[in-house]
Parts: sequence; C-alpha cells; structure tokens
Amino acid sequence: MNSGSRRKTIDTVLKVALAVLVFTLPLWIKNPTYMQILIFMLLYAYLTTSWNLVGGFAGVLPLGHSAYVGIGAYTSTILWITWGVSPWLGMWVGAFIAAVVGTIIGIPTLKLRGAYFALSTMAFGEGVRVLAENTVKVGPCVVGGPQGICLPLVPGNNLALFQFVSKTPYYYIILIMLCIALFITWHISRIRPGYYLAAGGEEPEAAEALGVNVSKYKVWAMALSCFMTALGGTFLAQLTLYFYPKQILGLDFSFELAFIALIGGRGTIAGPVIGALLLRPVSEFTRIYLSSVLPGLHLVIFGAILILVMIYQPFGLVRPLSRFYDRMLDALSGEKKKER
Amino acid sequence: MDFDIILQAIINGLLTGSYYGLAALGLTLIFGVIKVINFAHGSLLMVGMFTAYWIVKLTGWNPYAALLVVVPLLFLFGYGLQGFLIKPVLIAQRDVREPTEVIIVTTGVWYILDNLALMLFGAEYRVVQTSVSGQIFMLGDYIFPKPQLYGFIITAATSFLLVWFLKYTKMGKAIRAASLDRDAASLMGINQYRVYNIAFGIGAAIAGIVGCVLIPFYYVFPTVGVVFDVKCFIIVVLGGLGSIPGALVGGAIIGLIESIFAQFIASTWTELIVYVVFLAVLFIRPAGLFGEKRDW
Repeated sequence: MNSGSRRKTIDTVLKVALAVLVFTLPLWIKNPTYMQILIFMLLYAYLTTSWNLVGGFAGVLPLGHSAYVGIGAYTSTILWITWGVSPWLGMWVGAFIAAVVGTIIGIPTLKLRGAYFALSTMAFGEGVRVLAENTVKVGPCVVGGPQGICLPLVPGNNLALFQFVSKTPYYYIILIMLCIALFITWHISRIRPGYYLAAGGEEPEAAEALGVNVSKYKVWAMALSCFMTALGGTFLAQLTLYFYPKQILGLDFSFELAFIALIGGRGTIAGPVIGALLLRPVSEFTRIYLSSVLPGLHLVIFGAILILVMIYQPFGLVRPLSRFYDRMLDALSGEKKKER
Repeated sequence: MDFDIILQAIINGLLTGSYYGLAALGLTLIFGVIKVINFAHGSLLMVGMFTAYWIVKLTGWNPYAALLVVVPLLFLFGYGLQGFLIKPVLIAQRDVREPTEVIIVTTGVWYILDNLALMLFGAEYRVVQTSVSGQIFMLGDYIFPKPQLYGFIITAATSFLLVWFLKYTKMGKAIRAASLDRDAASLMGINQYRVYNIAFGIGAAIAGIVGCVLIPFYYVFPTVGVVFDVKCFIIVVLGGLGSIPGALVGGAIIGLIESIFAQFIASTWTELIVYVVFLAVLFIRPAGLFGEKRDW
C-alpha cells in the first residue's frame, strides 16, 4: 500500500471515529451540566452556521441575528400557549416570518456598503428588542414585556410537544439540525448561486460587471439564514423553557454569533463549528469559575482572543487547524513532508 | 397641546441632540477617513467620562476644566489604539475596500474596555455633584438647563474648530486627501497611516469632550458607551456616514424625536419611534440625508 492511499485510509478512519464519538457522546456523559454545555455548543455551532450563510458567504457583517432567534422563539411559543399549536409546527411559522422580515430588511440594506448593513442590522435587532420589551399583550397573545415568557411544563418526555426531561433528545435534535445546516452550507458552496455569492462578497463591482445580480443572491442568502436562525430560536425556547428580551434579543447574543464565526473562520464550512467548540467552553467556564471573583473577566478574555486572532489569523483558526491536521496525517502515514 | 410646552420640548430636543451629534461627530470623522466603523467609540466616551468623573470627584475642579486633561489623554489613547492594534490589520487587509476585520478589532477593544471598567469600578451608577449641576438659565418662560446649554456651546465650538482644521491646516488637508483617495494621497507624499492615527486620535478626543459634557448631568457606568454607541450608529446612518453636517443634523433629529414624542407617549415608546424613523429613512433614502449616493 503506498503512502497516499494509507493517508486517505487514516483520514477516513479518523473522521468516522469522530462521527461515532459525536453520535454516542450522550452514552458516556451522564452529568446534565456537561450535557447542557455540549447542547449549547451545538446550538451555537448551528446558529453560527446559519449566520455564516450571509455573514460569511455574502461577505457582509450582520450584527442583529438575535432578532431572528427571538422571532423563532416568540412565534412558536406564543402559538403553542395561545392556540395549542405544537412547537414542531410553530417553528416553521416562526422561520417563515423570520425569512420574510429578513428579506424586507435585506432588500434596501444589502445594496449599500457593508458598513451600512452592519449598522442597520444592529439597529434593527435593538429595535425588535425594544418592541418586545414594550409589548405585554397583543390581543389574546401574551408577549410578556421585559419579563419574557415562561413555557408551561409538560410532564415526562413529550416528543409531540418538543419537551423532554432528559437532555439526550435535545442533544440529538440539535445535532441533526447542525448536520442539516452544514449540509446546506456545503451544498450552497458547490452550486452556481454559491459561486455568485462568493464573487459578490469579494468583488461586487467585478461580479456585477459580469452580469451577476449580486444583491439578489445576497437577499436570498439572508432569507435562508434568517429562516434557519429562527428554527434554532424555537429549539432554544424549548431547551431553556424561559426566555426574555434582554437575553434572547440582546446585542451580546448577536455579537457572540459574529465572534464565533470570525474566530473560527467566516465563509468556511467548518469555521463556525470550530469557533463554537473553542469559544463556548471558554465563556462557560470563565463565567462559572471567575464571574463571582471578577465580573466581566470572561468578556475581557473574549475581546483579547478576538483581537489576537484578527491580527495574527485574520481568516480564522480553521486555517492553522487544518494545516495541523494535514501534518498529523502526514506523520501518521509516514509520508515525506510535502510542499503545501 | 400648549404651544409653550411644544417650544420647550423643541429646546430640550435641540440641547440633547447637540451632544448626540457631538458623539456621532467623532464616529463619522473616523469612518470618513479610515472607512472603518469604530465600535469602540462608545467605550472611548465611557473612558472620557470616567476620567472626567475622577478628576471632578478627587480635585473638585469645574467639569469643563477636566477637558484640559481628558482631551489630550483621549487623543493619545486613540492615536495609540490605531497605531498599535488597528494598523496591522489595516495593512494586512490593504486590498480589501471595506475591511470587516478592523470592525471586529474595535469590537474587541469595546469588550475589553467596558469590562475592565466593570472590574475596576463595579456596575453601579455614579453621579458627581459639579458646580454647574442642576443649574438653569431662564429666557422668558423657557428653561435652559445650564450643563446642557454649555454642552450645546461646546458642540458648536468643536464642530467649528474641526471644520476649520480640516479646511485650512496642512494636516487637515492631508486628512481630507487621504479620505478621498488613499492611494493618490500616498503618492503625493502623505503618510497615510500617520494621517489615520491622527484622525483616530481626533475622533477619540471628541468622544472625550462628550464625556466631559455629560458629567454634570448624566450617570457614569461601565456600559454607558453602549447607550451612545447605538444612538451614534443610528445618527450617522441617518445623516450619511462620513458627513460632518450629517452627524450634527442627525443628532438634532434624534434629540427632537425623543423630546417631542415624550410629550405624547411613554418614553420607552419614543425609543421605538427612533428605530422606526431610522428604518423608514433607510428605505426612502438609504445613503442618509447628507450621504453621497455614488459611493455607498
């Protein structure tokens, strides 16, 4: 067996082993706290992957994606509490609303320079938060104002109503959602509109000159991204069973999604996942262990990581990590060092 | 509705709008020259406020005397920030017209500054009693709170000085040249990164001026910058990114909306009206009131 095919075998074995590990993780981990951290990691990976569709591939910087998380969470929850619609159905309604809203916001802003888009999405996100905080009730629907909404508890593990006592079902649901989102991203990066998007993100004028309607594809990406983000919002509502505007519609949430994507590597498929894997534990553990001693330290660390990554690895950590992985494969297969 | 009440609301709105506009002025200057939105702008304002707060608290100076310390300090701070943190990223992204990575670096600076302030000073809201706090000036039946009135005058003076500096000094001309075409300016012998450092320093110094203006009548707390960040972003988009009159007029518009609508509805809803107006402008005139359509 020559070293090239050996390298390939090792690569496949490692990837299969990783997939098996990810899918069997709930069998090994019994501690609900760790499960919760893992679920959040996957949720952030999912949300950031959705963000990446417009933030990465379309080359703009959306800073108000918490609005769509909120639209998803509020829609499915209000539909369930008021009319008894299962969140499994409600999540699609929420996603549809989010996509429509995203399109409406995207049409004027995506034609402008990136700075306008970043600021407009941020202001829009804040506007949605203020609206939610000022709305206590609309007709029969309870929105809850600044207190937010508490979901009524359902006994036991109820698949039909998307509520479980055990953490394991949540883990698998978000894992499957993440896999689908990653597949969509991968697929888009290989079809014509994906190329148009990338071209429009890098050189809008050149792409326009070649007859690509850049802003049309950007609006599509925005709509799809908002759609997927809202689905994650419903998941978040069902997982925590309580949410309020400052948390689910907050600026910090929107920024954290952008940070994860940028540190991981925006515009790449693995970037958001890597970013979430690296940053979520940092933020969880520093918050658990240091926030009582030094409040805000975890955000200082976040800021510092962000600046260092932007200065030394402006394309995100996915590049050095994939180089490292390649070298590891070389070493394992005994292959001579190649020029890469 | 009483005419007097509306006129008083307009006065209040213009006074408030003046320091909103001043806060947005620094942001729009930095954007106009470097083409980068400084997300740390509110945090620089917060640094200016805390510096002024401690000066007044510890020495009992007049809050406007603190300008003598705060302005040079913030200028140096902004100069250094641009020179050490932002410049390397700008150079790495030289070919990108709109370097997003730089926005992210400034966001990192924002997170670090706000949370360092939280660690050092705690989350409580602080007020300091100054020699002008709570004083008013009456003109006929209309009330002008003195700190806000001085703020208005300082805004006018700062804007005038800035325009004069940009128009008539050599450095000001270099800044304008670099903001129009950085490559051509470099070819004319302008050191563009030095120009950027100075523009960023001036932007930061203006944020510091706002900090001093706010001290007599506003709370100081670590996340005070976020309040102004979001307002400034709305103002500069409203007025047109990079436009100096746009920032001032945008500030006045936001101030007027807040104070006039507060006569009719609860103040939490006026905030929403600001966002609605903002989105409406975005649809009708996306480049803002004074923005140039061609470039953005």
